[in-house]
Amino acid sequence: MRLGTLFRTVFRRELTMMTRYAVNTVSSLVSIYILFVLIFLGMQRLSSTMAGEFLNDTLEGTIIGFFVWTFTIFAYSDLSWSLTGEAQAGTLEQLYLSPFGFRRVCACTVISTFLLNLIPHTVFLVAMMATTGHWLRLDVVSLLPLMAITVMGAYGFGFALGGLALVYKRIQALFQIVQFIFLACLVVPTRIPWVRFLPLSMGNSLIYDVMVQEKRLWELPPMSVLTALGVGAVYLAIGLIVFSRCECVAKQRGLLGHY
Amino acid sequence: MEETALEVEAMSKTYRERGRQEVRAVDNVSFKVKQQEVVGLLGPNGAGKTTIIKCILGLMQPDAGEIRVFGQDVTKHYPRVLENMSAVLEGSRNLYWRLTAWENVLFFAGLSGISSRDTHDYFNYLIELFSLEDKKNVEVRKLSQGMKQKASIVCALARRTPLVFLDEPTLGLDVETSLELRQILKQLAQQEHRTIVVSSHNMDVIQDICQRVIILSGGRIMVDDHVDHLIKLFETRAYRIALDGHPSSELEEALAARFSSINMAAQKYGVEIKINLSDRDDIYLLMDMLRSHGAIIDEISHEDIDLERVFLEVVRRERDEYASGHSI
Repeated sequence: MRLGTLFRTVFRRELTMMTRYAVNTVSSLVSIYILFVLIFLGMQRLSSTMAGEFLNDTLEGTIIGFFVWTFTIFAYSDLSWSLTGEAQAGTLEQLYLSPFGFRRVCACTVISTFLLNLIPHTVFLVAMMATTGHWLRLDVVSLLPLMAITVMGAYGFGFALGGLALVYKRIQALFQIVQFIFLACLVVPTRIPWVRFLPLSMGNSLIYDVMVQEKRLWELPPMSVLTALGVGAVYLAIGLIVFSRCECVAKQRGLLGHY
Repeated sequence: MEETALEVEAMSKTYRERGRQEVRAVDNVSFKVKQQEVVGLLGPNGAGKTTIIKCILGLMQPDAGEIRVFGQDVTKHYPRVLENMSAVLEGSRNLYWRLTAWENVLFFAGLSGISSRDTHDYFNYLIELFSLEDKKNVEVRKLSQGMKQKASIVCALARRTPLVFLDEPTLGLDVETSLELRQILKQLAQQEHRTIVVSSHNMDVIQDICQRVIILSGGRIMVDDHVDHLIKLFETRAYRIALDGHPSSELEEALAARFSSINMAAQKYGVEIKINLSDRDDIYLLMDMLRSHGAIIDEISHEDIDLERVFLEVVRRERDEYASGHSI
């Protein structure tokens, strides 16, 4: 069996779906962009009463935070919503009939959406930088691995909630709560020791170092990179374990094809 | 010796949910399907057809039993064993509605590692066989129900697996489309030399497509036989008797008490009796009863029988035996 064929197949589906649902993707990004502009205008107003450096520092953090948040939200939502969507549409059982196994199909989906999401989100990032006039460094070689490490934790949440949705069905409200948990993780400063173990936090801090401090990946503290990688891997592993347990329950109760 | 494609041994499945009564969906079911055989699973809703198929496909976990596909234990060799199986499942849409029929075919074949470069001609052959060539580049959501169902079957066949499950393939289709689909499936079964398991509650589908039928009721196998043999068997026992004049109420009561399958209908000339006899000697008993009550027999003939009559008779017998406390 050829894994390359499976990946090409899934990537082609994601690309086609992305173009067919382009209006949905663009409108989501536009609404987040409008939110960003409102925050930016508010900050400008606030900065008129404070020192100029305050705005610069906060603005850079806000741009990166927004970028990382929207990217992880899209990655996480793509996974959790697609699992429930496939169950709802009745295609989930067909995916389970792949001799490659559902996990490999899922892995191909995750990698495909990660790569495809980079395009609109880079446009979004450039739009934010153009709006604020703050141009940050886009070191693709350093940023890509850090983005992957950062979203690993989000994918863990995606798998866990997707698994719970297979058993308990309508839990979309929980999906939305998690988006705000992610936001909180990005806002809390990483100098507080335990914050490093929250999903996204450490990765976000390292992305800040690359984009603002203009460090390359190999110039970053190895311990910090390893911590971000370890935290992402642990959340992903927990998510996969939860998904696996829920999948077993769904198969025992015959719930895979139900919604 | 013909090799076995599918072997199900002592499979049971009970649905358990908190606060609800347990439902035994499949009860100690065993059967074998030979390679290139076309077998029908026939039964009313809730008979266990879909549960059996989903357990075989690994989409559900049976409580007990063993399932082997081409000699491979499904549990031990999952998901690799799926190289040999594909399915169109009842109640599922089986397709992406935002993709075209052709894109769906490429996607579902690709899920099995089959590239369009290798089998482009075969995909086109299937599309033509199911008369979808004009609609192949149309998004599935814009297709009629019948076309969607055809596209689902094409997607399952595009995986080129030697064993194919079609769960209620004509469900929800109008009479004309159902008939057309049955004809295509019949042709396909003859041409493709694949092992096909069709589940349906529609007798015509099974009678048209399948060589063998497994009749299920209440999660158990009632009958497992060749369709032709089954029909012949029941044909020899199904009689139509025309009586000149009306029989006495005493005779009517006696017949009803002795033959539970008897059906008497008043006609212009008298009464028409339709009866399925479970024992060959019963015909003599019936004649004796009619003669002793003075009934005048005008005509006796074998009744034309179809799978529907067979099915109803099997289910009726099961009900009778259950009511009288006998094990089946």
